[in-house]
Amino acid sequence: MEKVNYDVVVIGAGLAGLMASHEIASAGYSVAVISKVFPTRSHSSAAEGGIAAYIDGNSDPNDNPDYMAYDTIKGGDYLVDQDAAELLAYKSGEIVRILESWGTLFNRQPDGRIAVRYFGGQTYPRTRFVGDKTGMALLHTVYERTSGLEKVDFYFEWFAWELVRDESRVRGVVAFDMRNMIPVFFKAKAIVIASGGMGMLYKHTTNSYINTGDGYAMALRAGVALKDPEFVQFHPTALYPSDILISEAARGEGGILRNNKGERFMARYAPKKLDLAPRDIASRAILTEVKEGRGFPGGYVGLDLTHLGEEYIKERLALAYEAAKAFAGIDATKEMIPVRPAQHYYMGGIDVNIEGRNPDIIGLFAAGEAACVSVHGANRLGSNSLLETLVFGRETGRAVVEFLKSYTEPSSDIDKESEKAEQLAYDVVKRESGVHFGEVVNKLREVMWEDVGVFRNEDGMKNAISEILKLREMAKDTYVLDKSKVYNTEFYNALEMKNMLDLALVIASTALNRKESRGAHYRLDYPKRDDENWLKHTIAYLRGNTVEITYKPVKITKWKPEERVY
Amino acid sequence: MSLQNEEVEVIIKVKRFSPEKGNWWQEYKLRVDRFTQFTEALRRIKTEQDPTLAYRASCHMTVCGSCGMKINGEPRLACKTLVLDMVKKYESNVITIEPMDYFKPIKDLIVDLDDFYQRMYKVKPRLYPSEQVLKGEAEHRLKPEDQRMLWKFAQCIWCGLCVSSCPSVRNDPEFLGPAAHAKGFRFLADPRDTITEEREKILLDSAWRCTYCYMCYNVCPRDVEPVTAIKKTRAYTKIAKVKTPVIETGEKHTEAVFNSIFESGKIEEAKVYLSTYGLIGSLRDMIFLLKSGKLNYALIKEKPVENITEVRKILRGE
Repeated sequence: MEKVNYDVVVIGAGLAGLMASHEIASAGYSVAVISKVFPTRSHSSAAEGGIAAYIDGNSDPNDNPDYMAYDTIKGGDYLVDQDAAELLAYKSGEIVRILESWGTLFNRQPDGRIAVRYFGGQTYPRTRFVGDKTGMALLHTVYERTSGLEKVDFYFEWFAWELVRDESRVRGVVAFDMRNMIPVFFKAKAIVIASGGMGMLYKHTTNSYINTGDGYAMALRAGVALKDPEFVQFHPTALYPSDILISEAARGEGGILRNNKGERFMARYAPKKLDLAPRDIASRAILTEVKEGRGFPGGYVGLDLTHLGEEYIKERLALAYEAAKAFAGIDATKEMIPVRPAQHYYMGGIDVNIEGRNPDIIGLFAAGEAACVSVHGANRLGSNSLLETLVFGRETGRAVVEFLKSYTEPSSDIDKESEKAEQLAYDVVKRESGVHFGEVVNKLREVMWEDVGVFRNEDGMKNAISEILKLREMAKDTYVLDKSKVYNTEFYNALEMKNMLDLALVIASTALNRKESRGAHYRLDYPKRDDENWLKHTIAYLRGNTVEITYKPVKITKWKPEERVY
Repeated sequence: MSLQNEEVEVIIKVKRFSPEKGNWWQEYKLRVDRFTQFTEALRRIKTEQDPTLAYRASCHMTVCGSCGMKINGEPRLACKTLVLDMVKKYESNVITIEPMDYFKPIKDLIVDLDDFYQRMYKVKPRLYPSEQVLKGEAEHRLKPEDQRMLWKFAQCIWCGLCVSSCPSVRNDPEFLGPAAHAKGFRFLADPRDTITEEREKILLDSAWRCTYCYMCYNVCPRDVEPVTAIKKTRAYTKIAKVKTPVIETGEKHTEAVFNSIFESGKIEEAKVYLSTYGLIGSLRDMIFLLKSGKLNYALIKEKPVENITEVRKILRGE
């Protein structure tokens, strides 16, 4: 197999990966960035609302970073490591200043300073934004900046497949050039996994098609633990059927959820808060309506804005109005917007500390949604994901630089291991007949949605685990019809299927184990939070078809757990 | 109030390509409803009917720019196009999908975008702030109206649709193309940038090579209006220090058009031509005009319009 050498390989070219690359390359080390897509097409671009930041001299006079950390911890239902939340809050202003200096066109106040607005769960307004395309604006800025650095090589439309390790260290990664299916062994002293989320595991998701959880699975197969993998965030109002997010603002401004009888069904689920009930309650209500036959064919309900009047809708809810028009052909001033809950974000991820360092393998780091720094706990607050990618992308990059300073070259030869990694890829797809990836993936997405989704209970999750095991068995007979070596997307879809199956088993198993409800993990059979037994992080390893689960304590610095009420 | 939604069967004909087999058309039948985007239609074809179909798609919400293709001949993003909208527009249940024009095909709907990326890199697509700001010793301020104007041109998602449909790109290797001009202008006009002179050198000559056909304006899924960026870039010609022959000709042409309208309220073709290209250049072209029997048209003498004084007032900005 062809080999290339770098100091560091970064897997993923979204905000976290690019920010880490920037730090490492600026310190003079060589970096290869491997991405399935051209960098600006990464899922970071889909973030809309903004990036939270306490900026000294440009925040509410009563606000301070400690309030910001507290909001994050409470929002995460106390499964947040509090040192991580403090770091996030204290570095937020600096990060926004840096991005501004690199050219991000933040919306401005009349005096030319960066503007700010409120977002859910914030005691004081902290969200900085670029219209409704903040993620795209930030991603373009960081790509523009990073692509100007000499020490960074981009390998886009390359598929990172398998980590290569020895006894204790990570030694590189095997990746395929998607254009011609040629595998290359990228030898590296350190690896940063920043490959983003996994929304495609669920039938309904606001995520990009590329979010198939490759990084998590790659780590699991290399013997690395995932932390808190059972925590998956769902958003109640995604547009049917495209699952594009319709902002919570639509309900905030008076939008009403209605079933196929025209009833304002939230009256049954949250008699006081009605349509403004929290995300998890609204999601459960919508799904209950659909399950009991009061949804519309296809499985959705209506978000009714019509009573608000055309002028009001177009002025105050421009985003929702435009999305409904462009992606569902709906005129929201005249008709209800079709919505349903959808997977939105993954709090769980590769186990790392606040430096982005993984404790299982020397030289392995992770950042962004691929990582679990434990800054979001059981539920992420809006505007905190963009912030996390940049703050912890940079922290991770810095930790990698420190790691490289004291690096010594191992003597053992590792090339044989890379050959094994290549073989594993062909093993996934070598059969001449059998099952096609689409069948497995579509079935898996349904199982995850039904049984490891918004509602969870013991029977459902046991059923999910047995279904996933069946699918894993079935997938052993995967075949690829396309025999061409040129841009064979079917081959990569089959590898993604393997990744999704590995991750799904871990999510379902750890969710079954956690016998409480906390944040986004809601169990019908254990509807209460249980701090006595469950105020701890899940740590999960995958060994064959077995998921090994241990737990580790949550770091608490200043804030004692209390009931989460708003 | 209810949501009306019926399923309709459509036939999607995809122009496929592989280096081994060349081009062929393949038909897929599927049922769609009024909400089905082409990205979803393609995903269903790939996971339920034909796993070999190759295309790019990711965000399905017009921010990643992956899914540029031709749908019924129109350069479009698949995510931003609803299947039944095309059925209605063309009054047919049969829809064709082809790869974008101009770029080299790789496989089915996937084209080689390297040419596109190279164009973008040529305009130095990044802010060059002052050292002071980079070190955090000074702070940028930006007027809200400047932010709004720049953001319009910064919203390019690198999809390539404008370049694929631009006639100047095909005919003039020196022309940077619409997307690169939008990106270039976004930094040229950014008051926080420090390399204005260099940007003028990169952008100005190329800006005068655009023919203002407005294809980029029509196909851009984010309403970036690259042609407007090009017009605004040309306005920098007045202050530019280095001028190429293309820029000089462009300037003369603009001046000639202005003078012609100022004098007669009309565009006098012959006069404009003469002042733009000079006597020798014009005479040479006249011979071609004469040969093709079109010289009379060039030599028509225009009478000034009735209210010429009003026209002049407008042109003087009074």
